[in-house]
Amino acid sequence: MKISTKKLFLRKKALVVIGMIGVIWLLQLTFSGFVQPASATPTASNNFWLWQFFGRLHPLAVHFPLGLLLFAAILELITIRNFSSHLRPGINLLVIAGVIASIFSAVLGLLLSRQGDYGKDLLGLHQWVGIATVLSGVITWFLLNRILVTKKISLIKYYRGILFFCAAVLSVTGHFGASLTHGKDYLSATLPWSADYTGTKAGDFNLSSFKNDTAQLTKKQEAELNVAVRAILAHNCYKCHSAEKIKGDLRLDRKDMIFKGGENGPVVIPGNPGESEIFRRITLPANHKDAMPSKGKKLADADIAVINFWIQKGAPWTEGVEKNIFRVAELQPRNPPLPLAPENLTNPLDKWTNQYFIKNKMSWPQVVDDRTFLRRVSLDLIGMLPKQEEVDTFIKDNRADKRALWIKQLLNRQDDYATHWLSFWNDALRNDYTGTGYITGGRYEITDWLYKSIRSNKPYNEFVKELISPTKASKGFIEGIKWRGVVNASQRTEMQAAQNISQVFLGLNLKCTSCHNSFISDWKLNDAYAFANIFADSSLEINRCDKPTGKYTNARMLWKELGTIDSSAKKSIKRAQLADIIIKPSNGRLYRTIVNRIWAQIMGRGIVEPVDVMDNEPWSQDLLDWMAFNFQQNKSDIKELLYLITTSNTYQLPSVGFKDPNKIILQDYKFTGMLRKRMSAEQFADAAGTIIAPLFYDSMVMYKPFPKMGDYHFARASLVINNSFLTALGRPNRETTSTGRESQANLLQALELTNGERFNSMIGRGAITWQKKYVTSDRVIKEIYSQALGRDAQPKEYQIAKKLLGDTPAIDGIQDLFWSILLLPEFQIIY
Amino acid sequence: MYTSWNRRDFLRKSSAATIAAFAAGVPLTNSLSSCNSKKINSSADTVILLWMAGGMSHTDTFDPKKFTPFSKGMMANDVLSTFQSVPTALDGVYFSEGLGSIGKIMDKGTLIRSYVAADMGHILHSRHQYHWHTCYKPPQSVSAPHIGSWIAKELGAVNPVIPAFIDIGQRFTLGEEEELKAFHTAGFLGNEFGPFMIPDPSAGLESVKPPVGMSINRFEKRNQLYNELMSNSATGEFGSDYQKESLRRSMEQAYILLKSPEAAAFDLNNEPKESYDIYNTGKFGLGCLMARRLTEKGARFISVTTEYEPFKNWDTHDNGHTRLVDMKKQIDGPVARLIKDLERSGHLDRTLVILASEFSRDMMVEGRPDLKVEEQVNQPDIIQDIKNYGMHRHFTDGGSILMFGGGIKKGNVYGKTADERPCKTVEKPIMVEQVHQTIYHALGIAEDTHYLVEKRPFYTTPDGLGKVELELFK
Repeated sequence: MKISTKKLFLRKKALVVIGMIGVIWLLQLTFSGFVQPASATPTASNNFWLWQFFGRLHPLAVHFPLGLLLFAAILELITIRNFSSHLRPGINLLVIAGVIASIFSAVLGLLLSRQGDYGKDLLGLHQWVGIATVLSGVITWFLLNRILVTKKISLIKYYRGILFFCAAVLSVTGHFGASLTHGKDYLSATLPWSADYTGTKAGDFNLSSFKNDTAQLTKKQEAELNVAVRAILAHNCYKCHSAEKIKGDLRLDRKDMIFKGGENGPVVIPGNPGESEIFRRITLPANHKDAMPSKGKKLADADIAVINFWIQKGAPWTEGVEKNIFRVAELQPRNPPLPLAPENLTNPLDKWTNQYFIKNKMSWPQVVDDRTFLRRVSLDLIGMLPKQEEVDTFIKDNRADKRALWIKQLLNRQDDYATHWLSFWNDALRNDYTGTGYITGGRYEITDWLYKSIRSNKPYNEFVKELISPTKASKGFIEGIKWRGVVNASQRTEMQAAQNISQVFLGLNLKCTSCHNSFISDWKLNDAYAFANIFADSSLEINRCDKPTGKYTNARMLWKELGTIDSSAKKSIKRAQLADIIIKPSNGRLYRTIVNRIWAQIMGRGIVEPVDVMDNEPWSQDLLDWMAFNFQQNKSDIKELLYLITTSNTYQLPSVGFKDPNKIILQDYKFTGMLRKRMSAEQFADAAGTIIAPLFYDSMVMYKPFPKMGDYHFARASLVINNSFLTALGRPNRETTSTGRESQANLLQALELTNGERFNSMIGRGAITWQKKYVTSDRVIKEIYSQALGRDAQPKEYQIAKKLLGDTPAIDGIQDLFWSILLLPEFQIIY
Repeated sequence: MYTSWNRRDFLRKSSAATIAAFAAGVPLTNSLSSCNSKKINSSADTVILLWMAGGMSHTDTFDPKKFTPFSKGMMANDVLSTFQSVPTALDGVYFSEGLGSIGKIMDKGTLIRSYVAADMGHILHSRHQYHWHTCYKPPQSVSAPHIGSWIAKELGAVNPVIPAFIDIGQRFTLGEEEELKAFHTAGFLGNEFGPFMIPDPSAGLESVKPPVGMSINRFEKRNQLYNELMSNSATGEFGSDYQKESLRRSMEQAYILLKSPEAAAFDLNNEPKESYDIYNTGKFGLGCLMARRLTEKGARFISVTTEYEPFKNWDTHDNGHTRLVDMKKQIDGPVARLIKDLERSGHLDRTLVILASEFSRDMMVEGRPDLKVEEQVNQPDIIQDIKNYGMHRHFTDGGSILMFGGGIKKGNVYGKTADERPCKTVEKPIMVEQVHQTIYHALGIAEDTHYLVEKRPFYTTPDGLGKVELELFK
């Protein structure tokens, strides 16, 4: 048989190919087989530098077979009707080149597999399909060759089939290879339905959401991206590259400076991360001499990705438009006109709720029954469970407006009311009977002033005024806690005052800003110092991240439009000026913050959340504005506000449970009624004290506002020194301001309730009294259900309890029944 | 080894959340997820901190200098150590007399002689203890968590019925209790990760058994009653509310703990007499015993303290020499025995034991050598009375720490202090940030672990900059 030259040439090539495949197999066998390639200990020969070098070319080389063979397959598909199209020679070349490239890649891949710490399962897969690619490639080539030589048209379909197969296997190989390099979930993690979805909660920077979007970023996205970048720069780079320290002549804290670059020229080339010096430096290995940060740790991968993306997108720096980056709440008060509502809705709050319900296509549920209402409103207003007699009387009361009348009565129980709200304010104003600072005279208590102010229902504007421009009795709040020795500049007492006043009264976080310019708001370091200067005898030296800057600023109110402070005046004068400014009716923020806090306390969630971030969006701006405006107009009367809220149908709607607390705080929250709350430590202690026996006695009371403990024979928990029981149930140590409590139970708490001495001995004492008082088991069961849960025992419950107690109850039995009832969620939840 | 099957997946997605006050009573920890960049291999599962509360002088304990015996009319400035030196298991390494037993086990651990406490103006126990335990200098604008709380939060319990953070031996009734409470807290991490306090180890069992006077039978019945009433209470009305669920779960957990066999670990009466007697040098010694027993059953972080009480124990403002004789008796036997017992049972490999104090003491120098500090102890230049013979002033520039197990080098001495006054650190100074980061590293907690608190990152060590001292590891 005569063999043409061309044929011979092709045959030689085929031999080369087969030889190469042989080499691959040989390599396989030499290097410990490919079932467990990665677990084998590398031998010296495997680590020979040249093989390592070649091996690392694998990720580069693989793109050739991928590109060539896939393109060949595509062209083959396009010309599927005409094998002898004018593209034929090109396709042939692509196939041949692709197969050769795939063989090379496979060899390099085997070399690489000796080095990396690759997972063996995935690596094994990658190798197998890789080999399959090479084999199918060779067969493709062989068939193609046969067709070209023998012109056997019948082989075309086999050739094409195997080419498409080859392309498919190649894609799979590529996928496994990429998974080895980037991680298995590299792709899938971006899918919203993936468990590894990296998307995050509102308020966080989420790079992946940007990447899914089209090329053009919106202004808002640019701003968000820029803020994220600046936060990264600030926390990782400012130490050496900002106003205070300008290493390498480079500053990264200002737009002009960052684009000017450092002593070696520009560091950011917008649109080109690869060319940008800053990107090169932060991606270098930590021990490289050029690596940045040169001190401290390397940037997190996520941070590097953000910088990379930012440069790619042209390194937007949104100065000028900053005012629009962060939502800023309106400062001015606003009095929206009340909407029209059905006649039966007389309470203005209900008119707003009605409008809200209509807008959200919701209807009004029935308000709760009398018993539930009285229990709820008693706990909310005076922190106590209603007594059984009260419940009975209330239910029998036939007056149409009895709920409003009873609310008035509750609010008029001045000492009960004040004792309850004392805890709320103690938390917020970080006032306590004991705590750090007292022994060295570095802290002052304000309990007496506070109690009397709450009791007398001091108008809120005066209340705030007296805390900011204080008398001796009320100075404890702004004087802060002074620790002996040297403290961080952002924690000196003047700065504490600035932080606490802005947080508690204005729902504004100045804590970032007291160290450096804020990344989460438009507030600047200067603003924080200007505000803190109001509480200082002379201007404070500005410290940036605890480093003195040698700069000073005036004393200034955060919002200049509200008024000016005389910087040169004495501290007491400046404080008095601030007090007058802050309580101005035009300072809508003060009044919005307090009505939102009170609302949150009663309704379980603020109109704005978190309650300390008043720039967040309220679920009803109208309701918040209207309430704040009218509260201020109505002499800032807190009791009136409570009356307004609790007499509304809105408050008296059935309570709403929730499973996932994180959903409750989302900005897209929909109001449907009061959220169920767990009793606070004090409410629980007082409720148990009402029914069973006192947990605390007069002798433990740290502040005695009235000679006799009201109608109760025990000391209310808010008046005693903090102890392990109250701590376990969530009373905070009041070293810092605290404006909300955890309502989640935990093991330490459960232990305190299960075998804690204080709780169990209280139950023991109560059991003795009850045994004497109620004598029979039937009576004990009836009373405990009615007093603790406000209802009769259901037959099943009665049976269980009766089985425990028998006909005449023993002390042990009563104790265990008490314990079980007090720990029921039905008892502990305000519903 | 006890497998830590309850261990949390501490490598979370860096989905950062913000803590702020939520009116709904949302638990802080729910809205938190830790952020860190990489996983590291751990060399320890458990940490035991042996806390020498009140300032332990290095020159009279683990770093003795020239000894000058007491004589009337002696020059105070001549005195560097008030005890003889005794040899240890390591060649050329000496301890102060009275610490011989610990000396004999130094082939099992590392002696650090270069601890440098922070400079905070006044040298105060309260602030330095706060700093040592939280890694942050007080005051802070958010409540900083104790190192035990960080560890409890990141890793959870080893054995789910043993609380992850146990604190043995400190009462809050002896003075400066508010300052102590300020750092015995999980801070912003939330109560769940706070310390389980056992003020008196000999009464430790009481904390983990049914209430006093209640038989186990009745305890079980009471729990059954609770469950029955719970399932019959107005369930429909309250659905599977989150507060209800969390209460039910916690109560169940407490019940399981209180009747679990592991609770016996808290009962020191079960310990054989021979061993009990060696540990029984007082509360601290028994605390070591309890720490050992709990470690064997699977504990995560245990702190055992000699107890801080102003002017008592290590807080020697007078009679330093005389009182140290007693203090050494308290610690020497139990600490040595603890290490040996852990080694024998095979737990030492994965248990990191650290002995440390907030700062050291010197006879003459208060704080740093070049600083005069207010309110320092009055020390006569010429000593007439033995009560003035001892290390009575607070010294921050040098100090000793011991570390055993958990991947730490054996028979190693790290750092050095000068042999002449001021006996300050002259080689390899190590600060509290490094100590913390080293502990976290041993446990496999990444060094940049942090949470966003009110939108500000709060790291395990300030700004995440604490450096691991890898040289301390094998």
